[in-house]
Amino acid sequence: MVNINILPLYLILIPLTFAFLSLLFNKLSKALGVLAPVLNLLIIYKLSYIFFQSKASIIVNLGGWKPPFCINLVIAPLSLFLAFLISLIALASSIYSIGYIHDKLSYKYYSLFLLLITGATGSVLTGDIFNLFVFFEILCISSYILVAYEKNKDSYEAAIKYLVQGSLGSTLMLLGIAILYGLYGTLNMADLANHITGINSIYLKTALALLISGFGVEAAIFPLNTWLPDAHPAAPSSISAMLSGVAIKVGVYAIFRVVFTIFGHNTLFLPLLALGIFTLITGELSAYKQDNLKRLLAYSSTGQIGLIVIALSIGSNESITAGLYQILSHALAKSLLFLSAGYFLYKYKTLAISKLKGLGRSNILVFSSMIIAIFSLLGIPPMIGFYSKFSILMSLFSSPVPALYAIVISIILMTGVEAAYFLRLIGSMGTNDISYEQNISQKSTSDWLMIIPIITLAILIIIAGFYPHMIQTVLGNAADNLFYKNNYVFRVLGGY
Amino acid sequence: MFKMYIYFIASFGLFLIGLYAVLSKKNLIKVILGLSLMETGVNLFLISLGYVNGGTAPIFERALSPSKMVDPVPQALVLTSIVIGVSVTALALSLCVKLHEKTGTLDLTKIRSLKW
Repeated sequence: MVNINILPLYLILIPLTFAFLSLLFNKLSKALGVLAPVLNLLIIYKLSYIFFQSKASIIVNLGGWKPPFCINLVIAPLSLFLAFLISLIALASSIYSIGYIHDKLSYKYYSLFLLLITGATGSVLTGDIFNLFVFFEILCISSYILVAYEKNKDSYEAAIKYLVQGSLGSTLMLLGIAILYGLYGTLNMADLANHITGINSIYLKTALALLISGFGVEAAIFPLNTWLPDAHPAAPSSISAMLSGVAIKVGVYAIFRVVFTIFGHNTLFLPLLALGIFTLITGELSAYKQDNLKRLLAYSSTGQIGLIVIALSIGSNESITAGLYQILSHALAKSLLFLSAGYFLYKYKTLAISKLKGLGRSNILVFSSMIIAIFSLLGIPPMIGFYSKFSILMSLFSSPVPALYAIVISIILMTGVEAAYFLRLIGSMGTNDISYEQNISQKSTSDWLMIIPIITLAILIIIAGFYPHMIQTVLGNAADNLFYKNNYVFRVLGGY
Repeated sequence: MFKMYIYFIASFGLFLIGLYAVLSKKNLIKVILGLSLMETGVNLFLISLGYVNGGTAPIFERALSPSKMVDPVPQALVLTSIVIGVSVTALALSLCVKLHEKTGTLDLTKIRSLKW
């Protein structure tokens, strides 16, 4: 029996230790890359079991101090849900990478991959805003390097673009944190939330704007998202899946943790709503004309992030639940699509949709999983995406501001655009007329290592579609956790 | 009090100079220099938040009054932030070297094989 107050620490310690172990023991790196997400999933299972028995968040205080003087980890439904999502996508993508990454230096790849998991998990678990910054930097720096991993001209260019924008963002973030520290002399999120009673002074407004624009770079919100369509396609496909499925969601989480929990905003947040609409429209419209498969998926990710931001910034309990639902459904579907794009890149050395014509038929397993994911993204029942999109629309209808109905129209229009380019993709890949010369070979083991995660994710998308109420309940708890600031403050600081 | 404002103005000045360099310079190395300048500005701001005129490190054995102690937390934060800044700068410069090998230039107006 492990001490319950130490158990959550292992969620961060395991990937971090394994990252350095895989540099020491090069041959074990593949096994370590798969083992870390598995262990994390087990720990999350154990923790959520304990949580649902006692119904109390687990607060881990580090260094023997009590909050607000220490760095603490907050194990609550929201952080457990996001940590679960991170480990799940990481597991799929690490199994996939065994088949996909073949060069000699692959131990470096796994080391960075594990650091990426460390950064993402740490960011969602921590209850200290400077600690959030540090974990965010771990996430960002490891993803800069992984974007450059393919070592060609495009990937270096994408990486430097990402790095300049990303570190500009983190500097803004740090300035925002510095202003908050200067005002209140504390870095603990709950303690800050306790001090801030309303966004009234100019200093608080500046700090909020700086934090949103800092985290907004990683979350790829409209004016700050020019790096994304370069970086996501340039990275190895397993990493694209992690970046699109997990990394940008962590940015969104951080923004709304700041807005709702720390600053205690609890109604419609207009600036982010406007940015979300712009993100949705620009993302979907630019995806429409792309011929590069991964670039198309990257733009579609931007559009989906817009949808999530819209849902979260409406600021009612239902809409936040819907936004978290959309985070789940998009993470599953988009990482599946990136993994299968990587599969086609690996087999046919091309990503041009015009050249992939008709190849869906000869790779029927991967292609049908892609169709499931696309249908889920478009919101066709009974996939999980239907319920998430539906609940976003319902939360818009039930909101008190009638002007929000206009947003419903824009969401439906953009779904139409999405349908147009995705159906064009399906039509082109599923056609009978094969123009591209192909060598049909027997499936090797490395092929199966890539196919199995793809199929598993597809099955998960379908199964999750059958249990909307269960997911709704869990996410409802998570939304409360993000939304009701006083509860959060009480849980963390309650003991003192 | 006036002295504090001088630190704040200087650190925001550094920050803005860095931001200007990042946004307007065409040479990649200068952009990275701008990023470092911005970082330095923020670090200076953090340090000046905890600065007490004539204060020293808060060590209990010296039996200081709290008004003579500087706040140690910002210094710890700055230490972390400096380490992060160094590693990001090193990574950025090494990417520059690689990019120069591949493209033969560091002029941002000429490196644009990726576009919207």
